[in-house]
Amino acid sequence: MSATTEATLPQDPNVRGDVSLDEPVKGREALVRGGHSFHEVTEMVLKVNELPVAKTPNGLKFGIALGGAGFAMFGGYIGYLFWMGPGIWGNNNPVGWAWDIVNFVFWVGIGHAGTLISAILYLFRQKWRTSINRYAEAMTIFAVLAASSCVALHTGRIWMDFYLFPLPNQMGLWPNFRSPLEWDVFAVNTYLFVSLLFWFTGLVPDFATLRDRARVRWRQLFYGMLALGWRGSTRHWVHYEKAYQILAAFSAPLVLSVHTIVSFDFAVSQLPGWHTTIFPPYFVAGAIFSGFAMVQTLMLPARAWLGLKDIVTVKHIENMNKIILLTGTLVGYAYAMEYFVAFYSGNEYEGFTFINRSFGPYSWAYWTMVSCNVISPQLFWFKKIRTSVAWSFVLAFFVNIGMWFERFVITVTSLHRDALVSSWDYFVPVTEVFFLLGTFGLFFFLFLLFVRFFPVIAMAEVKSVMPQANPHWEGYGHGAGHGPGQTAHASAAHGAHS
Amino acid sequence: MSAHAPSKPTDINIPAGSLWTKMPVIGGVLAVVGLGSVLGMAGGEHRARAMFSYLFAFEIFLGLALAALGFLLIDTVARAGWSVVIRRIAETMAATLPLFAILFLPIVTIGYHELYPWTHEHDTVLERKRWFLSDGFFMGRAVFYFVVWTMLSLVMYRSSLAQDATTDEGARNARVRKLWAFAAPGIILYALTQSFAAIDWMMSLMPHWYSTIFGVYFFAASVQAYFAFMALVVMALQRAGVLKDAVTSEHFHDLGKYTFGFTIFWAYIAFSQFVLIWYANIPEETEFYVMRMHGGWGAISYALPVLHFFVPFFFLLSRHVKRKRTGLALGASYVLFMYLVDFYWLILPNFKVEGQPETHFHLVWTDVMALVGMGGAFFALFSFLLARNKVIAINDPRLEESLVHENY
Repeated sequence: MSATTEATLPQDPNVRGDVSLDEPVKGREALVRGGHSFHEVTEMVLKVNELPVAKTPNGLKFGIALGGAGFAMFGGYIGYLFWMGPGIWGNNNPVGWAWDIVNFVFWVGIGHAGTLISAILYLFRQKWRTSINRYAEAMTIFAVLAASSCVALHTGRIWMDFYLFPLPNQMGLWPNFRSPLEWDVFAVNTYLFVSLLFWFTGLVPDFATLRDRARVRWRQLFYGMLALGWRGSTRHWVHYEKAYQILAAFSAPLVLSVHTIVSFDFAVSQLPGWHTTIFPPYFVAGAIFSGFAMVQTLMLPARAWLGLKDIVTVKHIENMNKIILLTGTLVGYAYAMEYFVAFYSGNEYEGFTFINRSFGPYSWAYWTMVSCNVISPQLFWFKKIRTSVAWSFVLAFFVNIGMWFERFVITVTSLHRDALVSSWDYFVPVTEVFFLLGTFGLFFFLFLLFVRFFPVIAMAEVKSVMPQANPHWEGYGHGAGHGPGQTAHASAAHGAHS
Repeated sequence: MSAHAPSKPTDINIPAGSLWTKMPVIGGVLAVVGLGSVLGMAGGEHRARAMFSYLFAFEIFLGLALAALGFLLIDTVARAGWSVVIRRIAETMAATLPLFAILFLPIVTIGYHELYPWTHEHDTVLERKRWFLSDGFFMGRAVFYFVVWTMLSLVMYRSSLAQDATTDEGARNARVRKLWAFAAPGIILYALTQSFAAIDWMMSLMPHWYSTIFGVYFFAASVQAYFAFMALVVMALQRAGVLKDAVTSEHFHDLGKYTFGFTIFWAYIAFSQFVLIWYANIPEETEFYVMRMHGGWGAISYALPVLHFFVPFFFLLSRHVKRKRTGLALGASYVLFMYLVDFYWLILPNFKVEGQPETHFHLVWTDVMALVGMGGAFFALFSFLLARNKVIAINDPRLEESLVHENY
């Protein structure tokens, strides 16, 4: 076993965050490394936000431009779709749902990790979440936007989408409230708005910090408006903590409800491969799984490029990998249970669907899914692998691929060989790849803008889990007492709710 | 957070003369009387009815013991700190699992054909299921489950007892790390065995019916009941004069929160199963609900969402209720009662009364006697094991963290 302890961590901040420590049997590992003061945390987090616009790092500039280009391409593609109709896709009988729905489920699933981290881990008092929640929440919002665009476009006649909403009209036409597709409209919209509210509430104290430190007028105005007059008084913190807790409680059911309803889109049907009772919890586990993988994919490069390794340490990476292992195994349980019951049921059609999935024309997709979702995450049983940044990145990437394929397998393989053998067909995409790339463009464009202008770490929350926030903290060195203003914030916040 | 390190609790042995020390005898007597009368009944013409009572009571207590095992494994893997003060109690509950192997015997001997129609009926669908529902495989699986549960629970239990006696910190820490490594794959074994045990022993009562979520249903229901049960057991132990200061309102608050959380989780799973089967309306799946939604069972079916979800949800929502002993005791007892109702509703409709419609609801004295007997057997072993050791894992490295645990 390595002898590295917190006291003997290397000095180099580029190395320090990647060193894995032995898990303490007693007490808990420090969540932030390097013995930083509150002020140093602020400096670290806001470094990229506070650069003048002209001095945006080239990598970030390039990323935003690339994302923007993808987004623009998406706009063009939507125009083409408007003009031509969904005939530009490979969808045809019997495969009426394909990449449009696959992309939707893929993106909406990714969002779930953000909500799990910010709401459920908050309710479980998992303090390590503070280093990753802001990031993950932002990911949620942009992923839900990408998902919404997929689902809005899949209707074909996009200009008729308002019929999804229960608006009175002269035709006396109402949406079918018994359809899960209609429930989706409400579920996804609720999800988007609650997530946005939650994200914004958490951002308010950090916006205030940005406002107070701003040197130029537009920044003072921009962040000042966003900070909603936050002054950091004890009363503000009390309200903030209450609001945060209530929003967390409201968001927690959303972690389950949104993907449950997405699973209903499939499972209320009578189609073998779609209709099975385990779908709701199975989809939720898969969503969290894919979301954590996406958080890793985004976070691992960012923590290196933005110099945040002391805040997002290998401990955080390891914890997330453990959740990936857990949820990946849960997904494996669901695959196995579905397979088992297909044969336990004695229903020939169920049995056929699963044989066809694993050995039929789309078996390549099925085995891609199984390898990426169930088999490769099992490598995270090894501590060496789950504490390695490179391995984490590669395996998380596999999960992203595997989870896209999972939705493809569910949607397409169940449809392509339906009950009428003469209508069997092999689905081949036509222009859909631009659709998928376009949603990635939208996602990365917004996400990188977020990285450029908003604090990617919830500073105020990270400070509250640092030793300085403990009312019994001994102080910086000998008799240095409490630090500047920010210490008082955190202590006040802590005092207010303990 | 407290400024001072708390001193270790001293009221950690069940005092001689308390009811808990007499419980092995009392429980044993109840077990003999209760199970004896039920099995006596099974010897007569009401064999099937008596064995359904027996299976019902068996699943109730098996569920609690299994959920205790699941809790321990998950708790260990999650490195939970708050729960150390109640861990020994959970370990002791889980350590009763080997007893269930013996209690299972009447089910596969006296009750086998009465309970499980697939053992003697024949039709096309059942023939397709023979690869799974066959005598040899069924028995083999049961043996496997009990071996796994015995292994998992005894390793957790013994390792924790050994920790009490370990004075060397290095040796103790090594033991803790070993347990971490053991518990993680243990969760997989636990999840698979408890799911398939639920399928084998409860789902196959209706051999044509199937539901992929059934194993999760069993998990949700039993874990919800477990947290309620744990809260009540701890309160009873405190009355007997142990852990009076160690287990505080903070721990009860957490037990209440888990009961509350799993109330929602149970409702979520139960609703998912129901709505998907109702919506798709496929005959081989709907038979489960058709049978339960008419006649006498209908009232229970319609009551379950209200009484098993809405009532405990709103009752346990309050922080105040969860932190006060009386409030939590009331909520926990109620949740446990609804757990009984839920399992009764899952198992008993499969018993067909001759000359009565399928939906005929029937509650007979053997149901109560089976519960009393099974509870007697469980508590006899549980209290016997508990009284032999300290009721708290006194040497646990996270004990201090648990003692000063606070919700905020």
